[in-house]
Amino acid sequence: MASTEPPAAVTPPSSKPNLLPLASPTIITPSAAASVAVAPTASSSSPATPSVATPRPIPSDAEVFHIPSYSCWFSLGDISECEIRCLPEFFDSRSPSRNPKAYKYIRDSIVKQFRRNPSSKITFTEVRKTLVADVISIRKVFDFLDAWGLINYSPAALNKPLKWEDKDSKSSQHAADSPAGPSLDSTPPVRETSKRLCGSCKSVCSIACFASDKYDITLCARCFVRGNYRVGLSSSDFKRVEISDEMKTDWTEKETLQLLEAVMHYGDDWKKVAQHVGGRSDKDCITHFIKLPMGEQFASSAEFGSSINKLNQMKDDNNISSSSSPSKRLCLSPLADASNPIMAQAAFLSALAGTGVAEAAAQAAVTAVSEMGQGEPKADIRSLHGVQGLQDASITSNGSDVLKSVEEAHSGVNPKPEEKKVNVEEVEEEIRRVAEVQMKQIQEKIVHFEEVDSQIEKEWKQMEQMRDILFYDQLNLLKHERAIRKSGQQAAEGVRTQGDYVS
Amino acid sequence: MKPLPSTSSKTPVKFRMPTSENLVPIRLDIEVGGQRFKDAFTWNISDPDSEVSVFAKRTQKDLKLPLAFATQIAQSIQTQQTEFRSYKGQEMLTGEKIVPIKLDLRVNRTLIKDQFLWDLNNFDSDPEEFSKTFCNDLGIEDPEVGPAVAFAIREQLYEIAIQSVATARESRNAKKGRRGEYSSISSRSTGAALDLMKLFSNRYSGVRKRKEWDVFEPMVDMLSNEEVAALESMVEKWRDLEEA
Repeated sequence: MASTEPPAAVTPPSSKPNLLPLASPTIITPSAAASVAVAPTASSSSPATPSVATPRPIPSDAEVFHIPSYSCWFSLGDISECEIRCLPEFFDSRSPSRNPKAYKYIRDSIVKQFRRNPSSKITFTEVRKTLVADVISIRKVFDFLDAWGLINYSPAALNKPLKWEDKDSKSSQHAADSPAGPSLDSTPPVRETSKRLCGSCKSVCSIACFASDKYDITLCARCFVRGNYRVGLSSSDFKRVEISDEMKTDWTEKETLQLLEAVMHYGDDWKKVAQHVGGRSDKDCITHFIKLPMGEQFASSAEFGSSINKLNQMKDDNNISSSSSPSKRLCLSPLADASNPIMAQAAFLSALAGTGVAEAAAQAAVTAVSEMGQGEPKADIRSLHGVQGLQDASITSNGSDVLKSVEEAHSGVNPKPEEKKVNVEEVEEEIRRVAEVQMKQIQEKIVHFEEVDSQIEKEWKQMEQMRDILFYDQLNLLKHERAIRKSGQQAAEGVRTQGDYVS
Repeated sequence: MKPLPSTSSKTPVKFRMPTSENLVPIRLDIEVGGQRFKDAFTWNISDPDSEVSVFAKRTQKDLKLPLAFATQIAQSIQTQQTEFRSYKGQEMLTGEKIVPIKLDLRVNRTLIKDQFLWDLNNFDSDPEEFSKTFCNDLGIEDPEVGPAVAFAIREQLYEIAIQSVATARESRNAKKGRRGEYSSISSRSTGAALDLMKLFSNRYSGVRKRKEWDVFEPMVDMLSNEEVAALESMVEKWRDLEEA
């Protein structure tokens, strides 16, 4: 299913669609009656919803062809307004071979030919070899149908750059640049600066062209004058763009970085920002800044800074754990911090790079710093290490963690508490987790001691048994001894008495 | 039968294709680095020149030909275009000219042989319509036959139009110079055409004589793969002989 893009307001900079930037595949059946019925319901599925419109139960043996929702006006039976507007040369009786009947013949043949094998793309040459008409008429109709997704359209192709891009040599750069996931790019993908191709006649715009930012369309001067634009546009939507000016308006990464720095420092003072950036007017800076993906975050973060500060001071006083309190001073508010540019940069960069990467980087930095800073025994850092080691297991990646580790790296350098933005709940959450972890530690120790205790008891009992046995042995021995002595004495007396008799 | 008034019999007309639209038959036969590309299609001469390069590029890409073909194709089209345009200002003679058009072509596996009469004076004629009807009526399945038939008709009409320009020039010169030979030249120019009057002069009906039926009957034949292969190898041999 096609991924939803915010309707019309933000067009992905990588594509220059001549069409409204949402294509949700609509299912259309080739039966003649289907044309009218499908159209109203399909169009009611507005650009915001990606659902496929299947308003009527489709008979099981009917063939189903997918066309985009913006082409739901199409029907094989007749010619619609849209076609008349886009291909006026067939309907203005200027040339006898270009008439509605010929147009219909060409169009229907192309569509039927494509639908015979909808899974493979049909080329223009294949088509023109089989149609009895002049090749340019065929080409015009073919391009029209192609553009509107009535041929060579498959839902899988939605994510590819649109067909106009194929004509540009730099389109591959676009495809590579466009953000694949929700990563925050600091600059929008580089717009082509060398060539501007007209969206309808596909020729290179030379001196001036007309661009419509609303729909992100570029037309060369000729097409604009001819009125060769899409349905729904009027001449007022376009503004003239001089090609020489075009070169200047693309923002390089360096300029964007400068802009962001300036905004961090000067906040709302756009004149100073413009000065800092150099070469851009303040209006340009504002518009570009708004277009950046993170603009909103920065704008709303100023008010959090002060409240977080107070919270952190409170924590300090309580001194829950000496190790965790410095780490709790987490905020991501580059705007609010003007005193430590390094910290701000680090915060900004870590936000750019993504939390995982930044965390890993911070870890490395912490280890490096702790190795280096042996002169000052930073028990804090080591204990922080320990705490963090425990916490790593239980804490999901979070911007606050990133800054925590970054904070540790710099705590040796800068003991001042850092103001960063984080929610109050997050701080409490962290504290709770720390307490939990320590409790678990204690519990384990208790268990361990109990084991040791029971083992000692067993040994003691064994010892007692052995003592008993020993005592018993001793007794036996004594008895024997006495018995022997007695018998010895008796034997001795017996011998003496017998001796008396003898003498 | 009353003799029909010959309307625009000798008045010259600006050169154009004697069809409803000025569509020019373009033939391509390009050889680049061992690869040969042959094609034939109809081109609308009133389209802007930018279309040429676009079309050439498109064709080269679609058929996956090496890049050199694109420029060659564009060049060839442009040459033929210029040639056509060079005739533009000239005049051509149109008499009551009914010319026989012959079809003798092979498209993939379909062989077509046909002969019919075409009115050169009818500037509303449409070879495309003819071709479409032809294919429909004869139940031809291969869709590539249609354009080939239309092309063949156009090509012949184009040839005849060029000839009539030449004869118009001759007759103009003849008018200025030698009066005596005018009649012989003019009769030569209309030699290929049939005079409607003569055709119908002796008849009461417009139906053809029975013995001529075979000549004018369309013949469509399907070849098997081996025959096609044999034919093509023969053509190759002839070509090599010519080039040698």
